Amino acid sequence: MKSLTLDHASFWYPATESPALRDVSLEVAPGEVVALVGALGAGASTLLLVAGDLAPRMTGGRLEGTAARRDRSGIVLPTPWTQVSGMAFTVWDEVAFGPANLGWPAHEISRQVDRALERLELVPLASRDPATLSGGELQRVIIAAILAMDPGLVLFDEPAAELDAEGACTLWRLIRVLAKEGKGILLATSALDALPEVADRVVWLEQGAVRAVGTPDLLAEAAACEAGLGTSVATVWRDSELPEPAPLTIIDAVRRWR
Amino acid sequence: MIPALRLEGVSFSYGTVPVLANVSFSIASGERVALLGRNGAGKSTLVRLIAGLQRPDQGTVWVGDWDTRDCVPEQLAWRVATVFQHADQQLFATSVRDDVSFGPRALGVGEREVQRRTDSALQDVDLTAHADQHPYDLPPGLRKLAALAGALALEPALLVLDEPIIGLDRALRARVTRALLERSAASVALLVITHDLTFAAETFDRGLVLDRGTLACDERLVSLLGDATRLEPLGLVPPPMAALSTALGLPGRPVREAEVARELARVARGRLAP
Repeated sequence: MKSLTLDHASFWYPATESPALRDVSLEVAPGEVVALVGALGAGASTLLLVAGDLAPRMTGGRLEGTAARRDRSGIVLPTPWTQVSGMAFTVWDEVAFGPANLGWPAHEISRQVDRALERLELVPLASRDPATLSGGELQRVIIAAILAMDPGLVLFDEPAAELDAEGACTLWRLIRVLAKEGKGILLATSALDALPEVADRVVWLEQGAVRAVGTPDLLAEAAACEAGLGTSVATVWRDSELPEPAPLTIIDAVRRWR
Repeated sequence: MIPALRLEGVSFSYGTVPVLANVSFSIASGERVALLGRNGAGKSTLVRLIAGLQRPDQGTVWVGDWDTRDCVPEQLAWRVATVFQHADQQLFATSVRDDVSFGPRALGVGEREVQRRTDSALQDVDLTAHADQHPYDLPPGLRKLAALAGALALEPALLVLDEPIIGLDRALRARVTRALLERSAASVALLVITHDLTFAAETFDRGLVLDRGTLACDERLVSLLGDATRLEPLGLVPPPMAALSTALGLPGRPVREAEVARELARVARGRLAP
């Protein structure tokens, strides 16, 4: 069974007439990283909420079609300060909050928390009060808190937005490691230049519907670049009216330029 | 000419945790300055000091000829407009329009002028179509833009923005760049925190880099952003355009997209010439 299967999913927020998602069918296999790209408001965040069983369960509204998950899912929201529990006075306790609520034995909670802190390079901050952290540090805490619950499907909504360059690199590498461990990953991001290294598949959303699906090479195509969804290198190559095909990455560009 | 902003030997700690140590710089009217550095380097704390929400332990923050120690934040709002990192916490009205107009109305400008500033600020960041919506019905990126519109509507001498383009797509990022360039052309000084060095390259001329609370670098972005060996110890990596310029050996090592595109086309034409 797939980590996630959306079958003809359409979703309406409460008191709205037009759907935020339109007839979306999508699968994420265990070990696969699928990236959602699109203009702001294209439906990527809504799709993650539906995939994580938060919409309509928490948001209200109406879902047509189905969303099925093989395992428990975890979602990283784009605004870490809205996801922090507010009930923990150390980073360690914050990360332990989720596993503790799953009713796990203490030694398993400790094992998962220590592992998650290590993976997000948060060990030096373990005894800090989450309220004193910078936005990027808090974002890493939230990611650790989700991973400590060991979800089979991890949903990321702009997870690198608050992170500095080193934090973003750590995260992108970690996402590949999580996939290798067999987790399904669904990732909404505007960090298009990271996707050639991170994503197995790219889903382009437009006005709530799937416009195109492909490998990250999709982000070098003319239509994607025109829609502002090309990688920086592909976009500037096309702006320069250099010959097709446009390179996806700097390495590709160097190869083409010779 | 008095700078729009001047910090003199500013140090600050949260309790026993030191955050900023002996930071000094000044920004002239119309200057466009990016504030860069790792998470936890002290960038957001600097914003709070400039907005008058914190007082320096040592040193002085001057906004024009005002010492921020002598001012309450609402006084400083005459000269400084700020978008904080967690802009959601700045939004409180039930419509985007009411939120944006709150600032100029609180300053006591006439109602007609409030309307003009509100309309103009909404238009500047492409939010006119969302003016009557509740801010919390908008996605996070647009909520940040609503806070930015509120700051623009104050028509300040100094704009201080903490990560204004998080969650925005390419078109809206370009729109923010355009709005900031227009304000700078009208002599507004800009100090903007960002981790997005592409946005930094497109929008700003000068870069300040904070490293563990000290000012590690203050120079022209065009020379800094292409220099991977200097960026690395500061926790920064060259943005894609700078890396591409270097990798392809483009003359002048441009870092802005339009300049890279122009150079690529020019060099390619030269290769084809007989």
